[in-house]
Formats: sequence, C-alpha cells, structure tokens
Amino acid sequence: MSAILTRDELAQALGRAGEGDRAAFRRVYDATSAKLLGVTLRILADRQLAEDVLQDTYLTVWRKAGSFDASRASPITWLVTIARNRAIDRLRSGAAMRRSTPIDEAVTVIADEGPSPAESLETRDDVRRLNDCLGQLDDRTGGAIRTAFMDGMTYDALAARENVPLGTMKSWIRRGMMRLRMCLES
Amino acid sequence: MTDPTENSRLDEDLALAGELALRVLSPEDEAAARARASAEPAFATHVEAWNERLGGLADRIVPVEPSAGVWTRVEVGLTVPAAANDNRIVFWRRWAIGSTGLLAASLTAVVMLAAQPAPAPDVATAPPPAVIRVATLTLESGVAAMTLAYDAGTGELYLAPTNEMAGDTRVPHLWLVMPEGDVQLVGAIDGSTTSHHSLGRALSGPAGAAKAVAVSMEAPGHTPAADRPDGPVVAQGTFQRL
Repeated sequence: MSAILTRDELAQALGRAGEGDRAAFRRVYDATSAKLLGVTLRILADRQLAEDVLQDTYLTVWRKAGSFDASRASPITWLVTIARNRAIDRLRSGAAMRRSTPIDEAVTVIADEGPSPAESLETRDDVRRLNDCLGQLDDRTGGAIRTAFMDGMTYDALAARENVPLGTMKSWIRRGMMRLRMCLES
Repeated sequence: MTDPTENSRLDEDLALAGELALRVLSPEDEAAARARASAEPAFATHVEAWNERLGGLADRIVPVEPSAGVWTRVEVGLTVPAAANDNRIVFWRRWAIGSTGLLAASLTAVVMLAAQPAPAPDVATAPPPAVIRVATLTLESGVAAMTLAYDAGTGELYLAPTNEMAGDTRVPHLWLVMPEGDVQLVGAIDGSTTSHHSLGRALSGPAGAAKAVAVSMEAPGHTPAADRPDGPVVAQGTFQRL
C-alpha cells in the first residue's frame, strides 16, 4: 500500500534523497512507486517491462534527486516526467509490443479512473484547472493530447490510428497545446 | 513595440517545446529538439514548463502496486556506479599487494590462473583467453566485505571475505547484477573463509556479462528464488577487468 505524503513532504524527502539519505529515498519510493508503475504500465502494457522501467526510473531519481528544485517543479510531476520518458524510450526501442485503443475509447476509460483526492500527490487545484482547460478544447483535440501523454504516441501513430493526415493531427495538437497554455496562464 | 517576427519565433519555440514534452515528434525531429534543449537554456525552460503543465494528466492514471522485488533491485543498484570507478581498481591493487595469508594466497592463485601455461592447445577447441574480472564488495559503510575474482575463460570463481561477515548467523548468498539491473542467484557462500567455486555453464555466461555482484543475508536453511533475494542486500561491488 502506498504511503501518503503531502506535496511538501514529498519535496522534502526528494531533497534529502538528493543528499544521499536512503531512508528518505525509500519514503519517496513508498509514496510514489504505485503511481509511477501506473504510468509505465499504461505506456508499455506489459507488467515485467513496466517494472523494469520502474526500477530504472528510481535509479535515475536517486542520481538526479540533487537537481530537483521544489521552487520550479512539483515533485510528483518531476517523477512522472522521468518515468514517462523512460517508458516511452523503452516503447520506441522496439522492446515492447503495443496494444491499440482508439482515442474515443481511451477517453472513456480514463474518465472512470480518477483516484480519490487523498491519493493525489498533485495539488488538486492545478489538476482541476488543467482538466477545465482541456475541457474547453474540442473532444477530438483534447482526446488526442490526453492519448499522446498517457500512451506515449507520436504524431505519426496518432494520425494513423485516427485515420487522418499527419498534418491534420499536428495542427490539432499544436493549436490545442497553445490554447491550453493560454488558458492555464490566464 | 514588439517585433512581430520575434513573437512568431517565440510561439514556434513554445509549440516545439510542447511537442518535445508531449513526445509526439518523429525520432529525427525529437533528436533535433533535444539538441536545442541541451544547447539553449531558454528553450529547455520552455520544455520544463510544459512538463509542469502536462504533469497533471497523470492524475487519472490508476496506481498499481509494484512487486516487492522491484525495491530490492533498486536497492542493489544504488551503490553500483554508472561508470567504472577507477579508485576501486587502485584500492584493490594496493590491497592485493599488501595483503598476507589466505587472502593474498587466493589472489595470487587468480593471477597464477591467468599466467600459467596452458597444455598444448588444440586450435579447434582452445578455450577463450582468460578474462579475469574482479570486484571488491563493500558494505553500506564503505568497509570492504569481500574480494571476488572470476575467470570468464574457465568459470573459476574465487571469494576472499574479510572479517566483516564473520559471526553473522544468517547465510550470505552471492548474486550477479546484470546490465539490465535484474539479479541472478549464484548460491550460498562461506562468509568466514576463502573459497573456490567452479561455475557451471548456466552461470558462467551471466557471470561474464554481469556488471556487478552483491551479497544478501538469508535465513539459515532458506534458499531464495533465483531472481530475488529475500534477505537484506548488505554488500555490493562493481566488476572490473584485471
């Protein structure tokens, strides 16, 4: 069972891990490993591979924790970014076979996957705002951005799956991202 | 008044940074964008900002508890440096030269193994040239617990423990740490005196490829699964070529 830490507690534990404190690193692992395995498993769809990448992720976290800056990044986002990038690197290295789920279905599935507020390490307001802003995009664009993030898909793969020209998919996501940014910063 | 060309360039940079953070670019475009992020701090800051904006998308991903073995593998990897540590080689050489008694005898045997003339070799069946791999296993405190030497040509393994594990009622087990980070059990070892083992074919390949070795302490009479220690990992060391 994951231990629950507040954002500040997690940031502090990560800072101490960066100074070589193994007990603090273990607290980071206990509090976040289930979330990060969720991220890597979603992308790789293979538990063994996802756990291999998880192991690699935490070794990277141990080495890089000293560079984590709580004034610039949320600790869970920083960790998710490392895990997600590692999983995508593994996925694209050809080591993983990918299942395929249409975007509409992916949106439906994730809509039912919300964790309880107590389980969330992210600031609830930030997440609510992101979801509000994504909700202002048309469903197709919002779905494409979510799928790209959660499944680690490239423009090429997204376009092929949605059966639209590559330029169309690029245009949807680029415009959607810029509108998202404006909305988040307004 | 702001130059419209400047604005347009900024928008383009922001969009590209977002694409890099989202990982939607083709391999070629991604490599070019990564090179920019490495060379241009302002662009790298845009990418970080996008990571921060998009991170909340993971909020809806269902957590999945990892297997207990993942932490063990992480723990094993913590003290294995990413790159070879030259100080360890220097330390080992000094120790080998300065040591006496069984330890020195054991290490001398390793060197002899490398130096002894082979019987007239049959070209077709000649064994590969001896490649001696050594590792100094240290405790978390940094104190050396054991020196290990392995001849990848013959499968001969020599272990020379210090006194650090003497008196422990648990049984030390030796593990290979493979390049991918998974571990493989070699077997129970004697932590109180030097020993010599001959690894079978199933283990000699992995032992030649392993990047490090580790020792876990297991309960007496208990044999852990081949890929996961059950007891605590107490010592680790990186393989170096002699």
